[in-house]
Amino acid sequence: MSNFLERPSVQPWARVKKSQQLELILASVLPTVIALFVVNVFGVHGAFGMITVFLPLQILAAGFVGVRRFGKKGFGDSLLLVSTISFAALVAVLLLSVLYSVIIKGFPALSAHFITQNNVYVSTTTSLEYGGVGHAILGTLLVVVLATLAAVPLGLAMAVFLTQSQSRLTGPVRSFTQALAGLPSIVSGLFILSILPFLGMERSGLAGAMALFPLMLPTVARVAEEALRLVPADLRMAALALGAPNYRAFFQVILPAAKSGVVTAVLLGLARIVGETAPLILTLNANVSTNLNPFEGGIAALPTYVYGFISSGYDTSLSRAWGAALVLVILVGILFGLARVFSRSKSLKTKSSSKKKGNK
Amino acid sequence: MSQTTTAATMHTEDVSVWFGQRQVLDKVNLTFPSHQVTALIGPSGCGKSTFIRTLNRMHELIPGAGLAGSVFLDGGDIYGEDVDAVDVRINIGMVFQKPNPFPTMSIKENILSGLRLSGRKINGADEIVETSLRRASMWNEVKDRLNDQALSLSGGQQQRLCIARSLAMNPKVLLMDEPCSALDPGSTRRIEETIKELSSQMTIVIVTHNMQQAQRVSHQTAFFLADDNTPGGVVEFGPTEMVFKNPQDPRTNDYVNGHFG
Repeated sequence: MSNFLERPSVQPWARVKKSQQLELILASVLPTVIALFVVNVFGVHGAFGMITVFLPLQILAAGFVGVRRFGKKGFGDSLLLVSTISFAALVAVLLLSVLYSVIIKGFPALSAHFITQNNVYVSTTTSLEYGGVGHAILGTLLVVVLATLAAVPLGLAMAVFLTQSQSRLTGPVRSFTQALAGLPSIVSGLFILSILPFLGMERSGLAGAMALFPLMLPTVARVAEEALRLVPADLRMAALALGAPNYRAFFQVILPAAKSGVVTAVLLGLARIVGETAPLILTLNANVSTNLNPFEGGIAALPTYVYGFISSGYDTSLSRAWGAALVLVILVGILFGLARVFSRSKSLKTKSSSKKKGNK
Repeated sequence: MSQTTTAATMHTEDVSVWFGQRQVLDKVNLTFPSHQVTALIGPSGCGKSTFIRTLNRMHELIPGAGLAGSVFLDGGDIYGEDVDAVDVRINIGMVFQKPNPFPTMSIKENILSGLRLSGRKINGADEIVETSLRRASMWNEVKDRLNDQALSLSGGQQQRLCIARSLAMNPKVLLMDEPCSALDPGSTRRIEETIKELSSQMTIVIVTHNMQQAQRVSHQTAFFLADDNTPGGVVEFGPTEMVFKNPQDPRTNDYVNGHFG
């Protein structure tokens, strides 16, 4: 063993020579330096400067190194590399800047009472020491849960129909689902609003859930369909060959294999509706107090709360709106986290239980 | 240790198969006596995999599949009017070309999956698991890790797990569709040994592309062939030694000696 360690050092094959490394570093640093110089001296700023100065320089530099190292092929590769990295960075910047502005503007309004209290006795100019979004959090949860209770079972049933059945109706049902996915949310709200009198209902939490339902359904159905489609046909065949009726093959083999994808489908459906504003403005009767009865009375939701306070324009009401927006973002984060934990905990459970049984 | 199984005799009468308008098999008449291993050989596309799927009614799961003729299990037509395909598949197990253990289940759960999937009560789970794994000659390899995920096994072990999974159902007949074609020689040898041991307990039908394998494991052999644009059929059927050493049909002779296909 020691012999092996003391052996005269054989250098591992170097993929990139020293001189090439220098070229790489220069190609990564020089465009940035030049771009900074140009931006400062000539006063081209921001995104405009990025696109007109830095990006062409970077492409040129990467192209130059690419051609030197790999010949003509190298140019295309370097072009692809620079553009993919740039656009991926652009996406990250977009997401981070949205989060940044929500956090910066919403954080001052956050406090324990902002999350727990409701908005009774609060006007647009009331100081932030009073009132909060507690009623809107509960309202959003209530409306979203109601819509989910209807949309998830039906969406999953549609996905099962689309993947497991050999019916001729799968084509029409799939196009119908896709068409429904393109339904503008305000149209959904208007539709529910217009049929409320026929149902003998007033604007209420239930009406809001009904307006969100057609928005959530196609998302759940389509994503769950993709998840179920990814389960190899082999597994279904194996289950049927063991004498399983179709429904047992589905519930014991196919659904467990697609579980994480199905959870993702529910999550994306939730994400689709939790921030919906337009249908809720039409179908909920905005309220400042806490109301947990979905059948009658006004009810508030976070998006309608944000909309209401951002429209009035006072500093305090703007702060309240941003604070509510931050609470909404956090709520979505918690929902996603919970669903992830839930979808993972089961496989962890089987692992730990297997250890227990193994020891005994 | 070994369970006594009621091996069954199977035979087919004029089995013809269609996919849509295209006929792929024409009037296959074969007999699979109990306690015997029957090898189905022939070039790709001759319909032998299709044929083996008609023996446990897996064929009808393919959209557009059509069938004529009868398949008898101990004298009863498995395509009879009041026969449920699910009951047929409980009695006639199947092992596929690619190992397909259930990925969300442990080794133990995979063994018991057939009983659960067919809705039967499980009495003495541990004993069933041990017996089935012993019959597939892999008990010693996995007895300490029965609760590990099935996918943690090697390819050869996965295939033997699939065999054990079928055996847990105590089938009368075991169908194997090229069970070793995705495996290395060592795993192949172990599966062949398993087949030989099992033949004393049940009827086995195996599709194989490997001539040596057919000679090693089978008692009788059926040679399938499909001439250009005609449906496939059985060219020669008889004791394995006869088919390989003294074939009656020149086409069989050419095929088993590697002259075509």
